[in-house]
Amino acid sequence: MFLPMSDPIYLDHNATTRPSADVVDSIVEWAGHWGNPSSIHRVSREPKRIMREAHISMAKNVGAISPLEIIFTSGGSEANNLAIKGFFSAIKNKAQFLGKNEFITTAVEHPCIIKQAQFLKDTWGIKVHFIPVNKAGEIDLEFYKNCLSEKTALVSIMFANNETGHIFPIKKMVEMAHEHKAYFHCDAVQTFGKVKFNVKDYNVDMASFSGHKFYALKGAGALYCKGQTPLDPLINGGGQERGRRAGTENTMAIASMSLMSQSSLVAEPPQLVKELRDYFEVEVEKQISNVEITGKGNLRLPNTSHLIIKNIDGETLLINLDVEGFAVSTGAACSSGNPEPSPVLLAMGFSKEEAQSSLRVSLGWKTTKEEIDNFLKALVKVVKRQRELF
Amino acid sequence: MDYKLSNSKPRVLVAMSGGVDSSVAAAVLKEQGYDVIGCTMQVWDYTKNTCDITSKPGEVQANAKSAGTCCSSVDVDDARAVADQLGIPFYVINCEDKFQAYVIDQFLDDYMEGKTPIPCVNCNTFLKFDHLYKKMKELGCDYLATGHYAQKIKTEEGKTQIYTSSDTWKDQTYFLFTLKPEIIDHLLFPVGTWTKPELRKYAEDKEIGVAQKKDSTGICFIGKSGYKKFIEDHVADDLYTPGDIKKFPSGKVLGQHSGIHNFTYGQRKQLGVSSNVPLYVIKTDASNGDVWLGEEESLYSSEAYIENTNWLDSFSDEDVLDVKVRFQHKGAPAKLKKEGQGYKLVFESPQRAITPGQAAVVYRNSQLLGGGWIR
Repeated sequence: MFLPMSDPIYLDHNATTRPSADVVDSIVEWAGHWGNPSSIHRVSREPKRIMREAHISMAKNVGAISPLEIIFTSGGSEANNLAIKGFFSAIKNKAQFLGKNEFITTAVEHPCIIKQAQFLKDTWGIKVHFIPVNKAGEIDLEFYKNCLSEKTALVSIMFANNETGHIFPIKKMVEMAHEHKAYFHCDAVQTFGKVKFNVKDYNVDMASFSGHKFYALKGAGALYCKGQTPLDPLINGGGQERGRRAGTENTMAIASMSLMSQSSLVAEPPQLVKELRDYFEVEVEKQISNVEITGKGNLRLPNTSHLIIKNIDGETLLINLDVEGFAVSTGAACSSGNPEPSPVLLAMGFSKEEAQSSLRVSLGWKTTKEEIDNFLKALVKVVKRQRELF
Repeated sequence: MDYKLSNSKPRVLVAMSGGVDSSVAAAVLKEQGYDVIGCTMQVWDYTKNTCDITSKPGEVQANAKSAGTCCSSVDVDDARAVADQLGIPFYVINCEDKFQAYVIDQFLDDYMEGKTPIPCVNCNTFLKFDHLYKKMKELGCDYLATGHYAQKIKTEEGKTQIYTSSDTWKDQTYFLFTLKPEIIDHLLFPVGTWTKPELRKYAEDKEIGVAQKKDSTGICFIGKSGYKKFIEDHVADDLYTPGDIKKFPSGKVLGQHSGIHNFTYGQRKQLGVSSNVPLYVIKTDASNGDVWLGEEESLYSSEAYIENTNWLDSFSDEDVLDVKVRFQHKGAPAKLKKEGQGYKLVFESPQRAITPGQAAVVYRNSQLLGGGWIR
C-alpha cells in the first residue's frame, strides 16, 4: 500500500503549508512529553510547560497584552466558531447588551463564518448583514456604515480573502464598529506567514489563527480574545484554557504553532514571495490570452494570485496540472469536489462560468523562480490543449 | 504520491465506479503498461440525501459493506482506495448539472409521458461517452476505458465494432447502443473478454479491496424507497396525469388512478382493481390518462416502432436480425424497415410487453448494430 512520496511543485499555500524543518525536527521531542497537562504528577510537568510557553509565545507574537487572552482550539474553524457563537451565547439575556442583536459580516467570508451567520439568524433570531464585495475585491464601506448602529453587537471581517487574497481595510472598519460600541472579530487565518499582523495595531477585540497555515502542524488554532470580551465556551468539560475550551490539549500541534509564531518569517514575511507573485502575473498576462487577474492593483496578500482563465474548465485544469506535477486549486480547499462554483466569486459578481474557470496560485516561503517558470510552462501547455477542445 | 506519468506510453482515463468491474479494468490496464488515470463521475450530491442505511437507537447496525452499491460517496471512497492501491492518480469529476439535465429530468419526463425509461443509457450517451470522453481528450489521454461487459473486435474490413461480452450473462452492450461510431477507436472495455467469476478471482488474487463487493443492480439514484417515491419527491402533484383504468378491449371503466407514472407495461400488481382473471397493463395513454388493462395475450405484439436511432454498422431491411426490447430480453428475430424518422420492427413471433421508453437494441449474431427508442 505504501507509495513513494515525491514532491510536486506546491503552489497551494493558502490551503495549507508544509510543516517547517524545525517543526518536523521537534516532533519526537514533543511526543516524548505525552503527559496530560492537567495532571498533578511530574509527568504533566513538560506538557504544562509546553502549554505555558505556547500561551506566552502566541500572546507576544499576535500582540496580546496577556497570555490569558489566547485560547487554543483545534484550528481556524473552531476559533471562528468560538468567537462568534461563543460571543452571542455570552451576551444573550445580559442586561448591558439589551437590544444588541445584530451581526455584520461580509458576503465573501470563509464558510465557517457564513454558515454561522445563517445559524445565528435561524436559531437565535439575530439580524445578519452581509457587506457586499465587488469584482475588484473592494468592500462596500458605505453599506457597512449604513448597517452599523447601536443594535450591532458584533462585526466579523476577514483580514484577507482566502480565495482572491484581497485585504480589507480592517483598521478603519474596527474604528467604525467601536464608534457604535460593537465588538470586532477578525478572521486572521490568512495573515501569519504572509503579512505582518498584530491585534494591537488593528485594535480588534478577537482574532482567529490557524497553525497549519504558517508551517506548523494541523490540529491547532488560536483565538485571541481581548480582556473582558464576552465569550462562552463552545465545548464544555474540564477547565482547560480557563474553562473557555474544554478537552485535553493537542500539545504537539500547539507546540508547533507556538514555535512557528516565533519565526522571523512570521514577524517579517519574505519579500521574495511578492516579487515572484508579481513576476508570475506579468508572465501569465504575457503568455496566455484572455486571463483576468482578480482585483489586480488592489491591496492583496503578497503570495496569492487569483486568475479567471476564460474558456477553461477549472476542475479539468487542476487535474491536468496535478498530472503534470503541480498542486494548485480553484478556490477554498474545503470546497473541492463540490460542484458549485465558489460562493465567494459569485458573491463578488462573477458569473458561474467565470467562477468555474478560476485558478488560485498561492506561493510559500520556499517557492523559487524555477518553480514558477516550470509552472508557467505547464500552465501554458494545458490551457492551450483545453482551449482547443473547449 | 508519486504517480508521475511517463508521457511516452498511451494514456487512458478509466471511469471507476468503486465496483469490482471497473476496478479490475483499471488494474488490467495498469498491468498492460498504460499510463492510467482513474476518475469517478460525481453525479449526485450525496450531502443532500440521507443515508440509505437506517438505524434506530439501540439497533445493531448491519455491516455497511453488505449494503447495496452505487450512488453513494462510499463508492467514491472505494474507487479512490483502489486507485491508491494501484498507484494511479484519481479524481472526482463533477457531472451533477449534466446528470440532472440529461438523466434525472429525462427520467421524470418519460414517466410523466407514460413511458418506462432506462436512465443508464442516457447516462452513457450524455455523461460517460460524451462529457467524460471530452474530459479524456482535455486530459491529453488517448483512450477512455470503462468496466462494461462488451468487446471491441476488428472486423475483416478493418473496422472496429462492438460485440457482446464473453460472459453472455453479464453482457452490457444493450446499454451501449447509442455509442457514436467515431469514438469507438478511443474506447477500451478491458473486462469484456472476461467472465464474472474470472474477474472476481483476478480481483481476489490481486487483493483488490472491492473483490467481494456486491454488484450494483437497479437504477443508481433510486433508493430503497423505489421509483414512485422518487417521482413524488421530484415532481409537483399538478403535473401528474390521473385518469381512468379501462378494460381492453371493451373500454369498460374499472376504476380511477392518480397518475400514469404508477403503471408500466406488463404490470400485474398494485393496479387498484379486482378481477377474476389476471389483468396486466397493456397500454397507457398520456394524452387522456387512460390506463388499459387486458389479459396476458393482449400483451403480445409483433410490431413496434423505434425512433432516435443510432447505428454502428449497416444492414438491409431483408436481414433477419436479433432484437432485444429490454435489458433482460433474450432477443428475438425481427426485420427492420425505415419508416419516417425511425424504423418499424416486425418480429417473427409476437413479443411480450414491448414498452415505450425502453430501447430496442439490434444485433447481428453477437455484433451490436445499434438501436432506437421504442415509441
